[in-house]
Formats: sequence, C-alpha cells, structure tokens
Amino acid sequence: MIELLLLVPLVATFLCYPLRRRRAVEIVSLSGSLVTMAAVAYLAYRVYTGGTIDEGLLYVDILSAYVLLLIAFVGLMANLYSVSYLGRELEEGAISEVKLRNFHLFFQMFIFTMVLVAVSDNLGIMWIAIEGTTLASAYLVGFYDRATSVEAAWKYLIICSVGITLALLGTVLLYASSVSFLGEASDALSWSTLMDPQVLANLDVNLLRIAFIFVLVGYGTKVGLAPMHTWLPDAHSQAPTPVSALLSAVLLNCAMYGILRFHLILSGSAVGPGFSSGLLLLFGILSLATAAAFIVLSKDYKRMLAYSSIEHMGIIAVGFGIGGPLAIMGALFHMLNHALTKTLLFFGAGNVLQRYGTREIAGVKGLATVMPATAVLVAGGALAIVGCPPFATFLSEFMILAGAIDGGDLLAAAVYLGLLAVVFAAFLYHAGRTLFGNAGPEVEHGEVGRWRPVLMAVLLVAVMVLGLYMPEVLEEALERMASLFTGGSL
Amino acid sequence: MNLIDSLAAVFLLLAILSVASGRVISLVRLFSLQSVVLGLIAAAVAAMTDAEHIYVVAALTIVLKGVVMPWGLRYVIDKIGVKKDVEPIVPLPASLLICAVLTVLSFYIVQPFVTGHEVLGTITKNCLPISLAVVFIGFFMMIARKKALTQVIGLLLMENGLFLAAYAVAYGMPLVVELGVFFDILVAALIMGVLAFRINRTFDSVDTTILRRLHD
Repeated sequence: MIELLLLVPLVATFLCYPLRRRRAVEIVSLSGSLVTMAAVAYLAYRVYTGGTIDEGLLYVDILSAYVLLLIAFVGLMANLYSVSYLGRELEEGAISEVKLRNFHLFFQMFIFTMVLVAVSDNLGIMWIAIEGTTLASAYLVGFYDRATSVEAAWKYLIICSVGITLALLGTVLLYASSVSFLGEASDALSWSTLMDPQVLANLDVNLLRIAFIFVLVGYGTKVGLAPMHTWLPDAHSQAPTPVSALLSAVLLNCAMYGILRFHLILSGSAVGPGFSSGLLLLFGILSLATAAAFIVLSKDYKRMLAYSSIEHMGIIAVGFGIGGPLAIMGALFHMLNHALTKTLLFFGAGNVLQRYGTREIAGVKGLATVMPATAVLVAGGALAIVGCPPFATFLSEFMILAGAIDGGDLLAAAVYLGLLAVVFAAFLYHAGRTLFGNAGPEVEHGEVGRWRPVLMAVLLVAVMVLGLYMPEVLEEALERMASLFTGGSL
Repeated sequence: MNLIDSLAAVFLLLAILSVASGRVISLVRLFSLQSVVLGLIAAAVAAMTDAEHIYVVAALTIVLKGVVMPWGLRYVIDKIGVKKDVEPIVPLPASLLICAVLTVLSFYIVQPFVTGHEVLGTITKNCLPISLAVVFIGFFMMIARKKALTQVIGLLLMENGLFLAAYAVAYGMPLVVELGVFFDILVAALIMGVLAFRINRTFDSVDTTILRRLHD
C-alpha cells in the first residue's frame, strides 16, 4: 500500500525523461501530482480511521500522514502554478523545452524523496531520504544558469550536506544507545521498535543527549534554524518561484519532522522531555530573532519571504519547545497554516517577478493598480503571515502563546510576543510599499496568467476558513498527534 | 597495540596530513589512502566478529571511495585545470595547531563513553574519539580552504570519520542503511563535481571566496 504511494512520483520522474514536448511533460507531471494527492488522501483516511500502518521498512502514523498531506497538497498546487509560470518563461525564451522537461523531472524526484522521508520507519533510511531531498532539489535551486543561481546551489549543497552529515552522526549515536539492549539487529534503528516503552527505558541516556544535539544541528540546518540558516535565503530567492514555495512550505516541515521523531524518542526515554524541549525553545527563539532583524532590513521580497520562513520555523520550534498539549497542537497546526500561507505568498511573488522583472522591494510600486487580483490576494496573504485574525495563523500563534503562559514560561512568552510584533510591523510596512504608489510607465498592466489568482484564492480561503472554523477531523487529528508528544495524556 | 587501534591511528594521521598538505592533488591521494585504511578497518572488524555483511561494506569502501571517487576528483581537476596550491585561508602551521586542539577536544568529549561505564562493548570502541576528531578536521578543512574541490574533500573526510564512528559504536549500521548512505555520498560527489564545472564556467575560477554576490 505505502510502496504504491512511493512509486507514483518515481514513475512520473522516469516517464518525464523520454518526453520532449511541453504539453506531454506537463500532463505526465500533473497527473503524477494528482495521483499522489489521491493516494495520500486515501492513506491518511485509512490511518485516521484504522490507526497506524506498519509495513516493515515503511510506516505511516498520524503524524506522518499529516506531513504527507502537506507534501502532496502543496506539491499539487506548486505543480499547477509551475505549468503557468514556466510556460511563460518558455514562451519568452528564457528557458528551453529540455529545461522544462528537466524541471518537472526533478520536481517529481524531489516529491518522491520528501514522501520517503515521511514514510520511513527506519531512522537511517529517513536520513538517506533527507539527504536525497537536498540532492534532488539542488538542480532546481540552480535551475537558471546565472552566476547567482550557481552560487546559491553550491551553498545549498555544501551547507546542507555538512549539516546532514552531523545528523548522521547523531543517528549513529542513537543506534549505539540502543545496541547494548537490542543487539545489532537491523531493526535497531526502526522507529516502531524504538518506541516500545521497554526499549525506550533502556536506551543509554548520555549517548541519547549527544545524539540529539547532533541531530538538532544537522536537521536544523535543513529546517533553517538560526544560526545554520544561511543557505536558505539564497536558495529560496534563486530557485524558480514554484520551487521556492515547495522548499519553504514543505521541505522545511519535512526536516522538522525528522527532528520531531528524535524529540519523541528523547521525551519517552529516561532523559525526559526537558532536555530536547529546552534546545528546541532556544533555537526557536534564536531563529525568530534573527529572522525579525533581517525582515526589517529586507530589500529583496523573495529573500524577505525566505526570512519569514525562518521566522515561522522558529515559531514552530518554540511551540514544540514549550510543550504541553496546547502549545504542541498550536505548533502542529502552524505547520499547516504556514505551508498554505507561504505558498500563497510565493505565488504572489512569482506574479510580481514576471510582471515587474525585479526582485527588489523598491522596484515594485502600485501593485494594486497594476495587478488588482494579485494585490488583494497578496495583501490577504501578508495579513495572514503576520498572524492577523481572522486567519488561522493567528489561532495557531495564539495557541502557542497561551501554552507558554499556561506552562509558566513567561519570559519565553514575552520574547516571542515582542519578536512577533517586530515582524508584524516590518512585514506589513514592506508589503504596503509594494501595494500602493504609482507604477512606472514601463510596467504593463494586467494579471500574468489567467488561473493563477484562482489557485491563490483557494489557499487564502483555506487559511481564512481554518481561522474561523476548525473542522472536527482536523481537531481530532491534532489532538491525537499532540498526545504522541505528551505521552498519551491530554 | 591491536590491529584496529593501529589502523585507526593511521586514519587520524592521514586526516591531519591532508590539512598539512599544500597541494590539491596530494589531498586527493591522502583521501584515497584514508578510505583504503577505513576499508581495512571494516575488514578487520568483519574478520574478528564473523559478520559477513561487513565484508561487503569494506569492499565497497575500498572500491568506491578508495579508487572511483579519487579518480573522478582527478578527472575534474585535470578538466578544469585547477592550480596546484590549496590556497589556505588559515595558514598551514596554524591549521595544524587547530587540528591538534580539535583532536584533544574530541577525546575530551567522548572518552567517558570509552573508558567509563559499560555502554560500548565493542572491540572498536577506541576508534570513537578518533572518528569524531576526523569529522571535526574535515569540517575545519571546509572552512579553512578556498577552493571548491577542497571543500568537497573536506566533506568526504567528514563522511569517512562518520563511517568509522559507526564501526566504533556498533560495527557499522544495518546493511540497507549503509548501502543507502553510500549511494547518497556518491550522488552528492557527482553533483558537486558538476557544480564545480559550472562554477568554473561561470566565474572562470573554482575559488569559492568569489561566491559573494548573494547577501543582505
């Protein structure tokens, strides 16, 4: 069952290879994304109603099903958008048909590696998959043959590979902590074996602590936690816009998922939840602060969105760091909200980039008159990303704050709130500068691509609806996921 | 002095030598030699523990990292026409001093696990501090050298250290994981080679300090 899901994007990758014509490539790639979405939806339904599916090396519980849904949904959206986005670049002669084929090929491969991250039972294989995401997406980051894209791709590959090497060291140390009890069985790195309470109790405490530090720094590099975030603004700003959306909204969550697996192991073992939570909180606040400073100073809107992703990953890390059912539910909910909103904003950025031809905030004026539909949607997205009511981001950020106050983490709550306020002001200031004013005479008026605003509207409506009304299914799912972290007690 | 410990000492020595070496081509040779030593350690572990699957990993290490990857690196060096010198950011004597500090530091961090309580019952447990030292040294080399290729070699050194760590604590990881990691490293090296070509084509140099266009 699960292996079928893995096969879909892989088959799409190989099917793209012999194709040359634009339409054929797009049809194959789009059907790949659609089938992936359908398969994930079915799988998530099975997990939701029937509980965890464990098939040896592959394993899907409610947390992985949630991440899978994010991957498939944002993947589908980004794929739809890229048909229009890259189609336009093809028509303008910026890229060739072979490049378009390569784009979709690597896009599907990227999706495949991310799905593999979410469904691996073995933490070693999860590591292989996370390294795989870097390798598959490196081509996409360096997609345009500009000097800056080559630079971004090199930094991305080198920094993430180093980070992930440290994570492998952490994985090895985790293995070591279990070997004395489990022996050298091949299932010693298996998540389902490790989470057996009897095994958890026998893991070596000191080795686990060192392992978690390495894993947090390692996977944290891919999550974009400060101070390991330096590759992120470069990669996000140089990649083609649909890929930026995918990197920001899903890849970061996938890496976070990797950290969460280790966090769960530590929380359940004799180490207790305090150690890993403390570190998550620390890195979360650090990321928030770093991102806030750079958002204030932004000059390039794609880089600003990238820093905003660092900020939101910081928020999520803070949520898990604070712990307690409320904050953890908030953090999990925020993963979804951030994914939806950031995808929307990157789509908006793509429209702006193709209309104005510049990534500088100062070069974009009068968006409201030039592209009214995009402008309204971007304005909505900007309000959502800074956490205004009635958007769902407000709800999840508030849940984390309430969780912090409930848990007595008043200092963390105050710092968190203060930094959010800084981001709020800075982000809206920059967004306001692009929305209003008068565009120069050289800027052509009108939307780029007829269907793009529809895609964006779907995302905006989703964030708004989730902010006003929490569906029972989602609430139940969030509660069940949170209970994984709080040890079954809610 | 047993066989594994002596081999591990050679392993560390080769890492330090590569930091001391001033020429790119000798870096490749040292990496190749180090990988062969790693393969021999694996083979020794396999012989002493009668774990046959480790022979597979040992052979793979010697063939892929000892022969194929150095050959690929040389091919890239010849094609691009890389200049001979490594162009250190930190001068070589200072680098050596830092390596010594890093080695002492890694012994300081993990020695408790080796000598203290009975966590690690492996015959290879003395390799753990050495492997950590090599990871640190590789990391340092990536920071302290300018050329794109020296960064790649630094990364490969780190990965060698990591494999040794895996032997030290648990006679290597499960076979399926180990094979996957091999595959990943191979692909990563391949992509980095391609990118080095592109950096060379775009900037007419493989000096990574010129990669300074993207900033805030």
